[in-house]
Amino acid sequence: MLSRINSKVIVIFISVLLLLYFVIFPMLVLLYDSVIHDGSINFDNYRSVYSQDVNWRALMTTVKLSFLAMVASVIITFPMAWLVGRTDLPWKKSFRTLLVSSYMIPPYVGAIAWVQLLNPSAGYINNIIKWIFNLSQAPFDIYTVGGVAWVLTLFYSPFAFITISRAMEKMDPALEEAARIAGASPLRTLWDVTLPLMAPSIAAGALLVFIAAGSCFGIPAIVGMPGNVEVMTTRIVTYVYMGDAGGIRDATALAASLMVLANGLLIFMTWMIGRKDYTTISGKSTRPNIVELGKWKWLALCIVGGYGIISVVIPIGSIVITSLIKTMSRPVTFSNIGFTAWEPVITSAQYMESIWNSVIYAVIAACTGTALSLFVAYLAVKTSVRGRSIPDLLTLVGGSTPSIVIALALIISFSGNFGLNLYSTLWVLVISYLIKYMTMAVRTIAASLSQVHISLEEAALNSGANWLRCCKDIIMPLIAPSIIAGWFLIFMPSFYELTMSLLLYGAETKTIGVLLYELQTYADTQNASVLSVIILVIVLAGNLILNKVTNGNVGI
Amino acid sequence: MAEVRIEHVYKRFGKVTAVDDFNLVVKEGEFVSILGPSGCGKTTTLRMVAGFEQATEGEIYIGDKCVSSSIKRSFTPPEKRNIGMVFQSYAVWPHMTVADNVGYPLKIQKLGKEDRAKGVGYILKMVHLENYAERYPHQLSGGQQQRMALARALVAQPGLLLLDEPLSNLDAKLRESMRFEISSIQKNLGITVIYVTHDQSEAMAMSDRVVVMIDGVVQQIGAPHDIYTKPANKMVADFIGLVNFMDAEVKGDRVFIAGTDHSFPNTAGVEGEATLAVRPENITMSATGGMITGTLAHRFYMGDSVDYRIQVRDHTVRVLVKGADLDEFKDGEPVYLDFDKVMIFDRN
Repeated sequence: MLSRINSKVIVIFISVLLLLYFVIFPMLVLLYDSVIHDGSINFDNYRSVYSQDVNWRALMTTVKLSFLAMVASVIITFPMAWLVGRTDLPWKKSFRTLLVSSYMIPPYVGAIAWVQLLNPSAGYINNIIKWIFNLSQAPFDIYTVGGVAWVLTLFYSPFAFITISRAMEKMDPALEEAARIAGASPLRTLWDVTLPLMAPSIAAGALLVFIAAGSCFGIPAIVGMPGNVEVMTTRIVTYVYMGDAGGIRDATALAASLMVLANGLLIFMTWMIGRKDYTTISGKSTRPNIVELGKWKWLALCIVGGYGIISVVIPIGSIVITSLIKTMSRPVTFSNIGFTAWEPVITSAQYMESIWNSVIYAVIAACTGTALSLFVAYLAVKTSVRGRSIPDLLTLVGGSTPSIVIALALIISFSGNFGLNLYSTLWVLVISYLIKYMTMAVRTIAASLSQVHISLEEAALNSGANWLRCCKDIIMPLIAPSIIAGWFLIFMPSFYELTMSLLLYGAETKTIGVLLYELQTYADTQNASVLSVIILVIVLAGNLILNKVTNGNVGI
Repeated sequence: MAEVRIEHVYKRFGKVTAVDDFNLVVKEGEFVSILGPSGCGKTTTLRMVAGFEQATEGEIYIGDKCVSSSIKRSFTPPEKRNIGMVFQSYAVWPHMTVADNVGYPLKIQKLGKEDRAKGVGYILKMVHLENYAERYPHQLSGGQQQRMALARALVAQPGLLLLDEPLSNLDAKLRESMRFEISSIQKNLGITVIYVTHDQSEAMAMSDRVVVMIDGVVQQIGAPHDIYTKPANKMVADFIGLVNFMDAEVKGDRVFIAGTDHSFPNTAGVEGEATLAVRPENITMSATGGMITGTLAHRFYMGDSVDYRIQVRDHTVRVLVKGADLDEFKDGEPVYLDFDKVMIFDRN
């Protein structure tokens, strides 16, 4: 008994130390560096960085873009969540999948697609509208604040959709029925009962969109930078790329502000939805209270379907078609379609090396991450050791920190200043992926472990199995799907990761995300499209496996 | 107070008929329960009266107003029906105080602040929550939330009160006292009530009439005593109370327990194969003599009574004797049974 407690304590101790060293220590270094100027603690770094107009404007633009994306996401997803969750809309299940699926497309791929569709010189949609209405000028310009907000909304609204529709499903429909029977019209019921009860969830979903949009690099970099729309993340990357001490110092101050903003909002959100005032006794049978849409059914179908087509089908279609055009300067006709553009990509040693690098790093991250997650989740859920949930909390902190902040913190902490030098190695990439994505695996495995009631273990022990045998025969088979799910939840985002890779890659460790970003910024749209399609196919395959393994309960 | 008429109402979900030709008139001030096992269509029926489901066919009248008609293609939404309703989950709004919850129907009716406070105060007093007006629901116990839901349903003085399994989330003791409380409030206000439950003692204790519904079909409508003593068919007899069934055959004007020469007059006018039913408390048992012979197989001591299992040929007959002495009969001994109040049904 004594030895088992000791081994648990040792496992906790080591995992806490590792997490402290790789997650918390770099962030503290980042914060500390940001307030050190000329050897003393003060806010001169912040003063000097924000006194430059370009940085101040970047901060304002970030807030503005995040706010726009947040408001638009709630306005779009609330009615969608209601239509999909509470009405007799046809093909609801497919729509639910469609509405969350922009979540699994890498944001920068979406950005590339929308640049193809709406750039002012040759965007597909612009061309079509110009041709239909015989316009001399393109009606849309994607390279604007509005354009960036549009793409951010499409790619981060699933956060709001998932949060809101979950809350809507959990709400007892009788609460609304009670208002109807009390004499309130459907609209009045929405206003007096549904909205107030959903408010915490709506706010939580909205904040998630706000934080994600503000932390995003790929979309503003690809859509905003050509039009001189600068945000915090793009400024940080620009400063880091300057390569000198001054650049790093300015980047540090910007990153520290972004980190405080994002994590502060997350803590606020957790506190807000954690308040217990809204818990109620719910009926033993929650019967489906499906609103019949009647004559509005087809209009609703058009709206939801239309949004699905705009947010997912059109951008993917654009990427696929662009990758298949033989000559970019000629119009899209059947004779101009083929795999001509694919051949140089697939045969290029340089391209293949990047893809291979991404696969290897993602596999290493996924395997290490799943094993660690298993420990962390087991500790948090199945033991009663003091401090058992600290590792879990540390992974959560890592996951909620903006990628760009993690990358910069790793640069300044592990470039030899404090002994360990990982700069330009594959390990710094793998560590960054682990910090950012491990929390998803921990969540999934912990949720599954908590479903395995202690009595199942006790029954196995009672039948004569020892503890290890019980793990092998009872626990592992029951949580196997969540372990596989956890593996993919780390593998897929690591595979197509851009932001951190862009700051941390070296000459030998270029990844597919970085390559794709370079191709797009060098205006090689077609090769970028081919690579995007390759990424999409791999991510789609991963999601199909994930769906199969977990019966549709987990997906990116 | 309103009379409710439900005429030839059907509810179909796809190919499934959940409610099949439902007919009922609830008189003004009457307390009617719809009783049946889960999934029998009783809640669907109530929800059609409330306006949360639309009847596939048939008409529903509340007072002299037709609120739902498949012929006239008319449908009154729930908020225009002037009904009070108590939900199984109480459905109290967690973001409003007790007073705001209960006063909500009055607020919708655009009553002034003072009138509202008066109405709320009156009804809260009736359900003994007058000291809880400023609390939030999560500060109340389950029973208090229940009474608050009742107050909210009654505050606007509706003509009709619908209750959907209101007591099923309460513990046994509280359930009994709430039964009494709901009954007395209903008598005081004289309000028409339709009460849905799967608990027969609840239905029996509170109702003027009971509607027994099984598999979407109304099996019987009647006073509690009639339902218990004169069930319309085998299904009702089986669902209400405890009952022994025995196969029987009709010969002439008498019904014989299968394989025996024990017979009873064919009061039901059944032909061919019949089923004989007798309730355990209507059997007298003796060691000395009686109509039917059997062997005592098991005894179960229940505190206020003893529950016996008697083997009579290939039937096991259950006999319930109030206040019996456990050792009066012993396992394996021969006993004699006399059946009283025998019910006879068509076997199919």
